[in-house]
Amino acid sequence: MRPMEASPGFRRGWGRQTSLFQFRRPAFWAYAIVVGGTGVFAVGAQSAFRQISPSGWALSWLLLAIYALPVFLAVYFLDLYEREPLSLVFGAVVWGAVAATTLAGIGNQGWGLVVARIGTPEFAARWTAALTAPFVEETLKAIGLVLLVLIATDEWDDVMDGFVYGAVCGLGFAVVEDVFYFVGVFGGSPAAVLAGFYVRVVSSGLYGHVLYTALSGMGLAYFVSLAGEVPIRRRVLVAGGLFLAAVAGHFLWDSPWLDLFPSRVEGLRDWLVIPVAAAVKGVPLLALTVVGVTLARRRERGWLESALRSEVERGTLSTVELGLLLDPTARRRSRRDVRARAGAGAARLLKRLQREQVNLAMIRTRVETEDDPDLERHRQYCRSLRDALMAVPGAVLWASSPQAR
Amino acid sequence: MTCALAVMVVVVFGGYVVAGALSEPAGPPVTVAGIVRVSPLSGWEVAERSAEPASVRLTRGSGNLDVMVFPFSGTPIQLAAEYVEQALRPQADRLEVSQRVQVVRAGNRSGIRIAYIGLFRGVQFQIEGTVTAVVSSSGRGVVFDGWAPAGLLQYVMGDLDTMIDTAAIR
Repeated sequence: MRPMEASPGFRRGWGRQTSLFQFRRPAFWAYAIVVGGTGVFAVGAQSAFRQISPSGWALSWLLLAIYALPVFLAVYFLDLYEREPLSLVFGAVVWGAVAATTLAGIGNQGWGLVVARIGTPEFAARWTAALTAPFVEETLKAIGLVLLVLIATDEWDDVMDGFVYGAVCGLGFAVVEDVFYFVGVFGGSPAAVLAGFYVRVVSSGLYGHVLYTALSGMGLAYFVSLAGEVPIRRRVLVAGGLFLAAVAGHFLWDSPWLDLFPSRVEGLRDWLVIPVAAAVKGVPLLALTVVGVTLARRRERGWLESALRSEVERGTLSTVELGLLLDPTARRRSRRDVRARAGAGAARLLKRLQREQVNLAMIRTRVETEDDPDLERHRQYCRSLRDALMAVPGAVLWASSPQAR
Repeated sequence: MTCALAVMVVVVFGGYVVAGALSEPAGPPVTVAGIVRVSPLSGWEVAERSAEPASVRLTRGSGNLDVMVFPFSGTPIQLAAEYVEQALRPQADRLEVSQRVQVVRAGNRSGIRIAYIGLFRGVQFQIEGTVTAVVSSSGRGVVFDGWAPAGLLQYVMGDLDTMIDTAAIR
């Protein structure tokens, strides 16, 4: 057996898959007990909202599903190469939606009493939200992510993974919080729910909990995945810094600072001001997150390249194919070209080949030797898919490098 | 994991512990007509005293607690209704009183509480408040009227609850 050569940037174990249900891990049971306990209260709260306004409650969930589903898919598929196990991803959503929201309701109220005790009622009215929610809510969501790390540490092998878990945890939180606002604050009638949807989702949906928790998750993933590569001091600084950035962004959002929101919505102008006011508070954190995600994706791309470089040398795939795998836009374009020249069947075959070539990289990171039977089997599979594609008239031009031919 | 769960407990319940520790009485207790004794929390001051009816007003920022003692023979619900009709409504241009009656602990006795919101003459903003009515063992009516500008009452309610709950009623 030939041991796997450790090429620069090679990420051992990158493609490993672990589920949420790790019954031997105490963290799983802590997660299950907290979610189960808070779930009772969460169901009670939804039942109360349904009684207050059945139509408004149903409309709230319908509108939020229209918002949440594409956001979930966008976040999930943003992780281009190593998609996270769905059980863990849904575990993060459930923590945000059930445990974090319920516990935050209790915690915010308690710390709100402290703010009211320290300041005057006027001060408390202006600052309670900013001085409680960012600290309480961001901490509780981050604790859920910490439990997920303890349940499936292997899955946190890149900053991008932290982005995915954090963002979907924040999404779960945002959806349940929005239902509370639509029914409990905006009034619960269908018109009030639509107004709430415009203010909290259409105008502000890009900036809220999804972003905050994504940042915390990226910091946590940096701390966990780079153990042994980066000194602990630097990892603590980055993880703590990103968590504080999330808290700061949330603080700015809840504080009276830079508050351009109209105090009362009376005409079209006021409605149009709302998205602008939301952007003023939310865009800086959005920009920070975009930078973080870009860096994380670049890093993942590097790992994919390292994992497949020797496969190019072996002839399992061509340099052109590797180039396509590394560039999502070119990947899509190649499938469009094949569809135009060789038909939909060939395009589907190419898509499958590209997916299996990414899986080949994942298998390479999991196995110990170059001639591991799993790895060899997958190489053969990729070759057979490519041969099948080459046999389709018109598809051959797609991979015009000497190796591919 | 223990550390994460400990942080969670502190975040969720710590506020109540800290708020409790900060809610210690400060300054001497205030007695009204020798019937009720209230211990103001830190930040609360006596703003007014009156002999007829025997009353005292405590304030903190825009939060207020009026404590009044009346001769009264009846139930706490009747006392609250009488206070609303004879003391509040005559001063109000508009007054809405909650239908819901809450049973609360006031000092060493049990009383009832109702909520109100209204526009009062000479005041530019809406006032929101709660009336807690208790009948003393010596047959006197004690009313605690906690009030603040609308929207701010929730931020003094914790203090009001503590002062009413710890009041001594004879």
